[in-house]
Amino acid sequence: MNPQDMKPQREAWYRSKTFKRFRRNPLAIVGALMLLVFVVVALLAPAITAPQLAEVRTARPCLRDLGLKKTEVVGALRNPLHPKFWRAVIAPPKSCYNIPRDGYSPLPKPPSKKHPLGLSGNSYDILYGLIWGTRTAFFVGFWVMGISLAIGIVIGGLAGFLGGWVDNLLMRVTDVMLAFPSLVFVMIIVSIFGNGITQVMLAIAVVSWASYARLFRGDILKTKAQDFVDAARALGASPLRIFLKHIFPNAIGTLLILASMDIGSVVLSFSGFSFLGLGAPVGYADWGQMTSFARGYILGTAQGTPFDFWYVWIIPTLMIVFFVLAWNLLGDAVRDALDPKS
Amino acid sequence: MTTFIVRRLLQLPIVLLAISLLIFGMMQFLTPTQRAAAFVKSEQQAQHLDLVIRQYNLDKGFWVQYGTWLKEVVRGNLGYSKTSHEPVLTTIRKRIPISAELALANFFPIMAFGIWMGTMAAIHRDRIIDQIVRVFAVVFWSLPTFVLGIWLLAVLYGHYKLFGIDRAPTDILVAFARGDLKAYTGFITIDGLLNGRWDVVWAGVKHLVMPVLTMTLVASAQIMRVLRSNMLDVLNSDYVRTARAKGLPERVVNLKHARRNAIIPVVTLGGLMFAFLLNGIFFAEVIFNFAGLGQWSVTSAIQLDFPAVIGMALLTGLIVSIANLAVDILYGIVDPRISFQ
Repeated sequence: MNPQDMKPQREAWYRSKTFKRFRRNPLAIVGALMLLVFVVVALLAPAITAPQLAEVRTARPCLRDLGLKKTEVVGALRNPLHPKFWRAVIAPPKSCYNIPRDGYSPLPKPPSKKHPLGLSGNSYDILYGLIWGTRTAFFVGFWVMGISLAIGIVIGGLAGFLGGWVDNLLMRVTDVMLAFPSLVFVMIIVSIFGNGITQVMLAIAVVSWASYARLFRGDILKTKAQDFVDAARALGASPLRIFLKHIFPNAIGTLLILASMDIGSVVLSFSGFSFLGLGAPVGYADWGQMTSFARGYILGTAQGTPFDFWYVWIIPTLMIVFFVLAWNLLGDAVRDALDPKS
Repeated sequence: MTTFIVRRLLQLPIVLLAISLLIFGMMQFLTPTQRAAAFVKSEQQAQHLDLVIRQYNLDKGFWVQYGTWLKEVVRGNLGYSKTSHEPVLTTIRKRIPISAELALANFFPIMAFGIWMGTMAAIHRDRIIDQIVRVFAVVFWSLPTFVLGIWLLAVLYGHYKLFGIDRAPTDILVAFARGDLKAYTGFITIDGLLNGRWDVVWAGVKHLVMPVLTMTLVASAQIMRVLRSNMLDVLNSDYVRTARAKGLPERVVNLKHARRNAIIPVVTLGGLMFAFLLNGIFFAEVIFNFAGLGQWSVTSAIQLDFPAVIGMALLTGLIVSIANLAVDILYGIVDPRISFQ
């Protein structure tokens, strides 16, 4: 036999038992489909909201930055062959994230032809805020997750690699971070560095790395105890080489998968903070803030019962719930698939 | 056990010192003038900021500053809050019973409901109860506290005019403020009892229903999930089979043999839940208009009133460290196999 064939072949991930278990879980499929819808909505945000961009006067800064005239907006943003379409899909200017407002009336207005989901208090267009809020959600989710994963990998890696008192110290810090309420931490950051999306995103990242550090350290310790690590050591590999070539690649897989499933909860905390007024400035397309617009009406500043202006509070909250539900369904299925006991 | 508790208690000051150092380190991003403003109470003082800076050593080296600051903190001088127009400590003292009442009213229903549902689901594995409980858990775990709060507020309060917001009707709060009703503890329900006024107790309880319902539905889902999966593991173990084989009634096996062992990880979770609970209470205060610590500190943060936020951070650090300690000790009580070396 050719010695080449004796080499253990790496199993393709889509043929692995884990993936098969995942694929056969109906809840996983539902979650994945829901997420797909959100991705499509986020990508096509300019096309979906093109009529609002064209008709509402306060959307002008966005059109100006895109270099489009009022009359050509719908034609350009709904035509994939138009160069401006791709500009708007891939890198829309910042001004497009501001929800256009149609007047200054403090009262919400029901859905109409011009505003398919109605206007919330202070006349912000609800459809626009929700669609562009999806983009904000993904943007915040991926960045915060990336930063907190990076911190978690460095801290967990150091603790697992060095061991001893460094490990002890780092894990104590991790314990404190795990138990510290994120809201208080975000408030500290905001009161010192000012209120803004970047500050709140950084604060969430800095407060949420702890569980990843702990998970990664545990996986490193588990991998360290395996035979192939001993074999590498017996062959005379240096500790750093053993760590980087043998332990690290084998330990990091689970962490990456499980952490990426937490994006939903990151978005949840972010929209929670902007509900309280920490983070996104007023008028920025963001689900949490859209929800906070609703609170005043429920408390009775408008005539009638909350069901008379259902569009102000039901739709934005449902958006958040479905987004988080999609990630949670996916995450649960992944955890089940990774767990050999199930 | 005793040595362990003593040793853990000795660790507490070190942890607190570390937390205070961390918070003080973050404050270094502010200029001395800004930090001096924290101690300013009046216009006249604001005109002599350099005196304040000198008084609190704000122009000296890091450790001198930290020493001065820590001394002030220990003496109870946390600075002056622009938001509440009074010293931070006074506001905290005033508002702490409100948040504490909310927290205590939440804690027991969350635990009881979560543990009960988790047990039911595990015992009736894969049957209809289990399915219902599992769907319930996924759905409510995906519901953010503030979303569920807004829904309950809209449906129960907005539409059906039930329960009511704030912690009591205005006339009762006014009666407390005027001294017609004596505030012994600051807890509406207990004060009502001590004043012998059942209507006050009833009003207090009624106003707690919505926040407690919100938090219980969201937070018990997590407890339920952990308890269910642990309980399933334990139900498959040998000693449970033995207990069944020797003819013990099903109830005793489930509750005494299985659940007692399955509950250990729930205690660990308790430590983490604590942070979640605090977050949730702060949200509940804002949504349901409770004039507690959360409402005040969120407003302070938005208005960049940093002494108030720093005061809250120190308080949270203290509470969290003590809660962690309690969980560690509780761990030993629940599971005697754990050695404390």
